[in-house]
Amino acid sequence: MRDPTVFWLLAAMLALIAVLGAVALVLRHRARQLQRLLQVSQEKLEHLQRQFEHFVPADVVEQLTGGHGIFAPQRRAATMLFADLRGFTAMCDRLDPAVAVDILNEYFRRMNAVITCHHGHINELVGDGLLALFGALEHNPWQGRDAVLAALEMRAELARYNEELRAKSLPELRFGIGIHGGEVVAGVMGAGAALNKFTVTGDPINVASRVEGLTSVHKVDLLITEEVRSTLDDQFRLRRMPAIQVKGKLEPIVTYYVEDISSLGSSASPTQGAFESHVDKVT
Amino acid sequence: MAQLLDEIEWGQAILPRVSDSAWEAEVKRRVGQVSEVDRRVAASTWVREVCVLMISYRPVAMPQRLFNIGALVTAQENSCRYCYGANRAYMKILGYSEAFIRRIEQDATFAELDDKERAFISFCRSLARSRPRPMKADYEALVALGFAPLAVSEMAMLIALGCYYNRIGILIACPPELAFERVANGFLGRLVAPLMRMVMSMHKPPQPPTLDAATLTTGPFGTVVAALAGLPGAAIFRTALDGAFASAVLPRSVKALMFAVVARTLGCRTSEIEARKLLAAEDFSNDEIDSALLTLRSPHLSQRDARLIPWVRNTVYYQTAMVQQQTATLATEIGDAATLEAIGVAALANATVRLAMLLE
Repeated sequence: MRDPTVFWLLAAMLALIAVLGAVALVLRHRARQLQRLLQVSQEKLEHLQRQFEHFVPADVVEQLTGGHGIFAPQRRAATMLFADLRGFTAMCDRLDPAVAVDILNEYFRRMNAVITCHHGHINELVGDGLLALFGALEHNPWQGRDAVLAALEMRAELARYNEELRAKSLPELRFGIGIHGGEVVAGVMGAGAALNKFTVTGDPINVASRVEGLTSVHKVDLLITEEVRSTLDDQFRLRRMPAIQVKGKLEPIVTYYVEDISSLGSSASPTQGAFESHVDKVT
Repeated sequence: MAQLLDEIEWGQAILPRVSDSAWEAEVKRRVGQVSEVDRRVAASTWVREVCVLMISYRPVAMPQRLFNIGALVTAQENSCRYCYGANRAYMKILGYSEAFIRRIEQDATFAELDDKERAFISFCRSLARSRPRPMKADYEALVALGFAPLAVSEMAMLIALGCYYNRIGILIACPPELAFERVANGFLGRLVAPLMRMVMSMHKPPQPPTLDAATLTTGPFGTVVAALAGLPGAAIFRTALDGAFASAVLPRSVKALMFAVVARTLGCRTSEIEARKLLAAEDFSNDEIDSALLTLRSPHLSQRDARLIPWVRNTVYYQTAMVQQQTATLATEIGDAATLEAIGVAALANATVRLAMLLE
């Protein structure tokens, strides 16, 4: 032990152990920091993903965030429901802007609750109009029926909302609804990452929009096309309207006015009670 | 994305507790304790039996660890507050850390899992969600990763049975086992967990027999159940399907139609063919079946039973709070006994069709 070489060797080893220990401690501390950072990032990501789901359907979010970050465009059979408020723009000119926005927001909240209850989702809000899709996100063999049942309940809900508006001496709302079904292309579209969104495109969208426009011509509130009519049974009371030529179509379009359903509130619409309580909750 | 425990909206219980001391004593003997679900489904002999068989099942072909994780993930994916909370608490008792459970719930890529385990979790989520519906290729992908075919069949069965139990919990809006959750998540839980694990390992619940393929094929949806041949769990499915279709609370025709509607909603041809066979045996012509599936109505059904057809499709893809409201409305219209039976059939249809999807 008196050999200075041994002493220095031992000292060097001890110093090395001390250094290694210090490095290990630092690394452990950093690893913990990184783990915490990862946890926080994961929670932020999860929060963002949940917020994102308010704007994009959940399964599209899953596909976008789960791996490749792409949503492959697909052809899907879907039913489109266009609803547009009549005379709301003129009404806005007369109302306080804050009141007009409140009226519109409440209308959208109620319509959204109805549409969701009937297996649809609102894809787009444009001004005072909305586009709802049925069957665009998941296989739905009853999409035509769902869209018409949703429209009938939208009509009933609008009547309830108008009663409330009347009681507050506010102007009542009127809408026109057009429904059409067909094959569309569903995908994430837009002008660059910031403006991209999940939507559908194709001729059936234009037709649904035109059919909604025809509600003013026929002076009714709810029209469907032959494609949608073929999915309904005799429970639905329909009235055939005169065929009318519309922009972009060679043949005149035959539409049907949906008057009512023979047993709304019973077996045809099992969601009625639940829907009302859902709307109450939402509003 | 699947919801976390505290994000799930949960309504008031739809069905009351039923007092049946003989049944509760039997459950205690077989499982060790009586759950809130056991008490609320006690009025239906087949629904309650399937619940107990499922809870007491022990895996034979897949690792217990994956079995536990699978039950948690399936409950989370189905947004069943009751099952999710109970499974989470159970995992804590089994010794899984909060951090590990949290990572599984968040589907975090840095969880301490290997590729096979991650693939299994992804399979659980995909089959439970069925949006889009999984296929035979998904089953084969797990086999290609190195899982034994029997193990994958047991996984699929676990998820399908999970879908059954989760729907029972959701559709009756069963109050969560908060006392158990509190104990498992608290200091006391950590303290007594080793003791509880020891007690649980000593208690060996009776397991169902392994039935041969011929026995499994006999009865409703025989071709689907036969795919589980070699697993004792197949007997649970056989018991469930036989019990459901033998029960007299609802007519056989409405139950077959409910299965057909779930099959149509999920786009499963195999299940629809099986349901059509049952409907044909109840004197439904092909046109009548087509019409019923197109319109969700049938002149063969009473006013009460007609309500179940549009309702059952809401049990496939749902928002928990909304389907509970719809079921509560149904219960006020048709009464507790028919509602419980309908819930059992809807839950079983969802389980059976999910299993069948992997055959095509």
